[in-house]
Amino acid sequence: MTMPRFPRAALAALLMLSAGAAAAQPAPDPLPAEKAFALTVRDDASGLSLTWEIAEGYYLYRDHLRAEGPDGAPVAVETPPGTRKDDPTFGETEIYRDRLQARIAPAAGPVTLTWQGCLEDSICYPPQTRVIGAAAEDTGRAPDVAPARDRDIVLAADPGLLDGLSARGGAGLVVAGFLGFGLLLAFTPCVFPMVPIVAGMVTGRGAEVGARRGLALSGAYVIAMASAFALLGVVAAWSGRNLQAVLQSPPAIGVAAALFVLLALSMFGLFELQVPRALSSRLSRVQGRQGSLGGAALLGATSALIVGPCVTAPLAGALLYIAQTGDVMLGALALFALGLGQGLPLLAVGAFGPRILPRSGPWMEGARRVFGMVFLGFAIWLAGRVLPGTVTLALWSALLIGAGALLATGPRGSRAGRPGRALGAILLLAGALQGAGAAVGGDDPLRPLAPFAGDARRAPDEASAFTTVRSAPALEAVLAGESRPALVYVTAGWCTTCRAIERGPLADPAVQDALGRLAPVKVDVTEAGAASREVLDLLGAAGPPTMVFLDADRAEAPGSRIVGDTDSAAMLASIAEATR
Amino acid sequence: MTLNRRSLLSAAGALGLGAGAGAVALWPALGGAQPLTVDAVLNDPDAPVQGNPGGDVTLVEFFDYQCPFCKRMHPMLEDVVTEDGGVRLVMKDWPIFGPPSLRASQLALGAVALGAYPDVNRALMATEARLDAGQVDAAVASVVPVRRAMDAYRAARGTWDALLDRNDAQATALGFRGTPAFAIGTTLYAGALDRATLRAAISTARAET
Repeated sequence: MTMPRFPRAALAALLMLSAGAAAAQPAPDPLPAEKAFALTVRDDASGLSLTWEIAEGYYLYRDHLRAEGPDGAPVAVETPPGTRKDDPTFGETEIYRDRLQARIAPAAGPVTLTWQGCLEDSICYPPQTRVIGAAAEDTGRAPDVAPARDRDIVLAADPGLLDGLSARGGAGLVVAGFLGFGLLLAFTPCVFPMVPIVAGMVTGRGAEVGARRGLALSGAYVIAMASAFALLGVVAAWSGRNLQAVLQSPPAIGVAAALFVLLALSMFGLFELQVPRALSSRLSRVQGRQGSLGGAALLGATSALIVGPCVTAPLAGALLYIAQTGDVMLGALALFALGLGQGLPLLAVGAFGPRILPRSGPWMEGARRVFGMVFLGFAIWLAGRVLPGTVTLALWSALLIGAGALLATGPRGSRAGRPGRALGAILLLAGALQGAGAAVGGDDPLRPLAPFAGDARRAPDEASAFTTVRSAPALEAVLAGESRPALVYVTAGWCTTCRAIERGPLADPAVQDALGRLAPVKVDVTEAGAASREVLDLLGAAGPPTMVFLDADRAEAPGSRIVGDTDSAAMLASIAEATR
Repeated sequence: MTLNRRSLLSAAGALGLGAGAGAVALWPALGGAQPLTVDAVLNDPDAPVQGNPGGDVTLVEFFDYQCPFCKRMHPMLEDVVTEDGGVRLVMKDWPIFGPPSLRASQLALGAVALGAYPDVNRALMATEARLDAGQVDAAVASVVPVRRAMDAYRAARGTWDALLDRNDAQATALGFRGTPAFAIGTTLYAGALDRATLRAAISTARAET
């Protein structure tokens, strides 16, 4: 079937003219898109098998072939590697000629398939669309020339972080880039809570811990943390949802809080926390010292998933990339690198901590107690995400009073005596304040006496008058009823970074003023259900905190999206983008 | 078989050109608010004009900034337009290759107000075929700051979005299957053209006027 290329002059045809002619008479050439790329769909047990018969001289682009579920969520399409079309003038693309066979996993509802191709040396077709599968078998749909403009909400076309890196320098750059992002993230509040955990692990062990042992322990912690991130990516790819939201459910929080209570009790010497004897004896042979590398790993995984649930730009980017492309390998690798990067400074804490600290002695007993208290604090902090604020306040009160009493009544002779007692008194006072707060119904540990201050401090919330929604239809309804530009703020009850944003930039009078020009909508995804997932998909967001700035036409202002922690300046810039 | 197909296509081409020579009063009407007329296609008041604005022949190209064939023939097209001296060149954005193409069109149209449209258009046409938003911005930035172009586009957003919608509606109504596609005078051409065909098409259009 070797046919010569079409003579170019001949392609330079055509058509015209009177009303009926153009519509009734197909142009002799180029072929109509549905003839140039004839699609047949076969539904078998293992999914949908798609075959395109591609006319001679025509080709399809691999990277313009995609599928979406009924809710607009991307559906992975398995495609074979294409032919590399490497034209020095036009860059490298992957294309298919003659025939393309692809597969889609079994889908619950109809899948909207989009593809795009060209006739060599002549013409490129607009994207072709067809709804396939389930109820909609072979329902033809008119080619969607500009699908982006049909939707209610138009997201900005900023390419994902991972997409961009991958396009520029391949997998190597992605991994190196994410390692770097991780390193940067290590100095944010997301990772700070992990420092005392590692320090506690290394120094609070009772016996002297060498640098090597410290490195091994913190290494196990960091590797487990990185693996947990990678696992997060894999699960996100498989289930199409963000595992983190699930991990913020009350049972998961409860388990993690209990883990920290156990750790604390172990620090207080109530029992030694050890891995099962069989495992620990094997480990001890290798390590020459009894310890719990396994415990460190467990802590690492827990920390990544539950202690530091920050959706940061790189994490969101990697999760979305995996969900959209189904490229689990690269996505998981990127997340692993991210976790590793976050952990590098922790390795330093693990390795140098023991060297910096004085040799083992009586202070060790004190250190263990301090870390025991810190771990109890973690338990309360975690539990606070699911417990009523008043209960949390009461727990803080108990912890602070307990710690204060311990310090204030400490042995008089010890060197730390006087400052220790002073600190104890301060803690007692703080504990009393928390207790008083709990008693009068306060619910914010940082402002326990807020109820006494009246409603003055709550004014910021009211001024910006966020409308709260929990589902995609509700969000669309609110946006439809608003002619102003809009700020869509994705938050959740368990999102600690969100609280920081609400106390910080969102409470800033300058930001409040600027926000007056926008319709502020809060999307609450505390409940990790289908409704939350749908609204996150609609916004193209991985999770809270994410701020999407829509202009009056409901198009996202390019470059305005804020993912993760932010400050007033960034918010003002984004608001300006949306309102210009 | 080869011969048959070749001759068939040539015949079709001749037919198309021949048909174009006849005067055309009526173009397929659009369902939308704006009627599709020769004037609407050739003399859209908002579409930027290059070449000789007072020229006797109007050459409209429906194109996309990521369409490889549009870009491959563009230097030749500019060359022919310059050499002829009597061609009004109207490049109509028909962004079919997704968000980067749309962004490129928005920035180029924004550059009209900055007096930089021809340079931005040329810079974008000289890029590699596949673009992401960053590459689009880099190409634009070689002429004007992206920020200013985007601000200018936004300032006249109503006009430009309406123009893009009109371009899309016209291309679809004219039965164009993709980019590039041309209206040269009142004759339509689908697909990339070579130099000889382009020159002949301009002569044909000139003969009609």
